[in-house]
Amino acid sequence: MTDDHAALDRLRSAGFNVDALGDEQISVLTGLSEHELELLEDIKRRLDDAEPEVRAHGDIAGGALF
Amino acid sequence: MTTLSTSTASDALRIKLDLVTPALRAATTSLWREEPSEPSRRRYVAYLYEMHALIRASVPLMERAAERCAELTSHDPVAGPLVRYLERHIEQERGHDAWLLDDISVAGGDPARLADRLPSPVVAELAGAQYYWIEHEHPVALLGFIRVLEGNAPAPWLANRLAERTGLPDAAFRTVREHAELDSGHLTELDAAIDALPLTPVHETVLAVSALHTVDRIIRLFSQLANIPGGPE
Repeated sequence: MTDDHAALDRLRSAGFNVDALGDEQISVLTGLSEHELELLEDIKRRLDDAEPEVRAHGDIAGGALF
Repeated sequence: MTTLSTSTASDALRIKLDLVTPALRAATTSLWREEPSEPSRRRYVAYLYEMHALIRASVPLMERAAERCAELTSHDPVAGPLVRYLERHIEQERGHDAWLLDDISVAGGDPARLADRLPSPVVAELAGAQYYWIEHEHPVALLGFIRVLEGNAPAPWLANRLAERTGLPDAAFRTVREHAELDSGHLTELDAAIDALPLTPVHETVLAVSALHTVDRIIRLFSQLANIPGGPE
């Protein structure tokens, strides 16, 4: 394993579907910093803790920020 | 670690934020969940109070970032174009906190309560982190915060749906309604501004950390609000 794979492995371990990503996405995410990875892992845990119904309908909720 | 891709800076930021969009959408879904036994009026008013607390910091944050840019301009190639974007966006956002006060009033809240009401500490974390990065890292960090706010505008149908659920008049939803129309243009303008900046890999990391931190704290804020019962206080 090289450092190039370390960020992707961290994302995969957190539950992100890394194998479905395209070349451009892989290229960007390979260069994630430690702080970015920590935040991504933290946010993914919050999603995993959400109720299944909320996760399922999140795509139609839109945003609520301005 | 540096960014190895040849993507534009705005594309790279979008790719990172795409990973957390499902979590942010889930938090929003939870915030607006339907409760058959009671309208979600109380939760909507609480949302307005917290959004006012956050949005009242937007223009002062941009003004402080512009001041920091002015201090850096002589030796920082990012500062000049960044301050020009900030000056435009300050004028686009000025006064929007007053819209929220009007919405609070129409929705049955009391804007006079604001003086006695301490916002969620999460709001202080959201704005406070930006002050830290502006002062001690680089004012470009603020674009990460703005990118999350502009990139997650209300859906066009949200105001009508909330009106149906809460029974409140249309006038209580001006901020939600008008930002559904305004913010897509603002996002395009922001992405163009980001791509025009001569960003280093370190700047791009600062941008992304700021943006991801903003998403993380917004999810916390919405989770707190989602725990508020919908019925009258």
